[in-house]
Amino acid sequence: MNTTVEVLGFARDASWLPWAVQYFFLIGISVAAFFLSLPGFVWRRSKWLGISRRALLAALVCGLTAPVALLADLHQPGRFLNFYLHPNLGSWMAWGSFFIPLYLLGLIGYAWLCLRPLLAEMGQRPGSLAGLYRKLAYGGHDNLSAIKAAALAATLGGLLVLLYTGMEVMIVQARSLWNTPLLPLIFGITAMTGGIGMTALFEALTGNRQSAPLLNQWLARGIWVTLVLLLAWLILGLSGTSTAAADALAAMAGSFGWLVTGGWLFGSTLLTLWLARNHSNSLLMPALLALHGAWLIRWVVFIGGQSLPKMGSASHPYYLTLTPDSLLGIVGMAGLCLTLYIILTSLIPWDDQANA
Amino acid sequence: MNAQPDLSRRAFFTALPAVTAGLAIPAHAEDTATPHWSMLIDTRRCIACQACTMACSIENVSPEGQFRTLVATYAVTDQDGTTGMAVLPRLCNHCEEPPCIPVCPVGATFKREDGIVLVDGDRCVGCAYCVQACPYDARFVNHHTGKADKCTFCSHRLEAGLLPACVETCVGGARIFGDINNPQSEISRRLAAADGKTSVLKPEAGTHPRVFYIGLEKQLDGRVDGSSTADMMWRPGTQGA
Repeated sequence: MNTTVEVLGFARDASWLPWAVQYFFLIGISVAAFFLSLPGFVWRRSKWLGISRRALLAALVCGLTAPVALLADLHQPGRFLNFYLHPNLGSWMAWGSFFIPLYLLGLIGYAWLCLRPLLAEMGQRPGSLAGLYRKLAYGGHDNLSAIKAAALAATLGGLLVLLYTGMEVMIVQARSLWNTPLLPLIFGITAMTGGIGMTALFEALTGNRQSAPLLNQWLARGIWVTLVLLLAWLILGLSGTSTAAADALAAMAGSFGWLVTGGWLFGSTLLTLWLARNHSNSLLMPALLALHGAWLIRWVVFIGGQSLPKMGSASHPYYLTLTPDSLLGIVGMAGLCLTLYIILTSLIPWDDQANA
Repeated sequence: MNAQPDLSRRAFFTALPAVTAGLAIPAHAEDTATPHWSMLIDTRRCIACQACTMACSIENVSPEGQFRTLVATYAVTDQDGTTGMAVLPRLCNHCEEPPCIPVCPVGATFKREDGIVLVDGDRCVGCAYCVQACPYDARFVNHHTGKADKCTFCSHRLEAGLLPACVETCVGGARIFGDINNPQSEISRRLAAADGKTSVLKPEAGTHPRVFYIGLEKQLDGRVDGSSTADMMWRPGTQGA
């Protein structure tokens, strides 16, 4: 067998930058957190009411931040207009440009309808913003039918967002790590665990620990499914059943970096599972690990997937730099999330005590 | 007075419409025979001098470090321990079934009737979906424009009746460019002479490239199992000086 050393070849930079990781991470979390808000606000399950309130906050914070990362990735934000002026409806990305506003408008409408009674109540309290609250409350009716209608629109939008984000990546045959039907499922389930993680983090920040066992129970279920899907991909690749998975594994073979990445991914996922099962009353650590897992999967898929060569032998490693489209972008997105969290929690009380 | 000149003149004017029509018809027929531009690369003639790389970069003002074409070069050692050089000139394959086109969310990437795949720079949003979809790593997001960039077969030169810059400059005549719809073109004759011994990159991808190779090593036609000097190199720009 011949041995080959590539002396000179293309060194293509990653073209989907950390912006893409941030977008897929945040929009997935937002949709998942929105789903977590349904038991409390739509089905009025008392056990879920507190969780649903924090989940709605998480859905808003992440949902409003996510499109900013997407716009930033276009190098010139005004270019987004071309998505609506010249849509190519054969492209999943083109459909995404319609699903995102459908979901976000549904979410904002749903959030407003859910919060109307609270806004009306705050309008009655003395304060300089009382008039604003009264206007925002618009009567303050707790209209369950309207909430259900808005929830339906947001659910449809959310499901379509989950579908397109998975399909958009899955159909790229040229990227062996992406081209697996398991990918939309992996993105979907890790969005759920990430959404639980963000909700649990907000629970921890509000000092409410009663919901920890319930959240950890669902987190553990999500982690089990994630592990099954990751193992299924591995088995499909090792057995050669999936050509793309086998090719991706062959491209990773012998790389210490990929060995560490794989070990880290499986190790941290198992640790999250262990914490969620054995420390079901703890919130912060399982929450942070769940968020870490959801983010890591997307980082590995996007940044790692682009590092594998399509042609030749040269891998295309990505290095984080202190530039706006790299580390500063990631920090910036986190900063925007924090800013929105501060604004929303300053204007509206999200903890059970304030609402009581 | 001799009537002959008058008759001759009359005959000339009578025949004029037929003559002009006769001249016009073949010219019109030639115009409607749309060419299908393709490239044949004879790797046996390539010496990896990278003159094509440089000519393309200068012609198309590619940003530093970004290339529309390049000659990938490999050191291949056989079972007997003999090492030789193998080359693979690479560029956009102007596929018949280009995977870059259906993914483009705004329809900025398109294939012309003459077979050339182009990017409408006014419409491109720089989302890089086409870059991901290209199996040949032929596309990139131009650092200067923030939009998708790739080989155009130097369509601007073709319109001026010139060959692509890489073909024009190739010292070994390894790149043969022409119209495969025209059986008399050099590329058609060379393809016919090769008698099916040509190959394309990643035939399993089903893209039907219009860049053909003679003498392409099978093990180099896609991802290559082997090492790369790029992975071994210290990169001051990214790893710190």
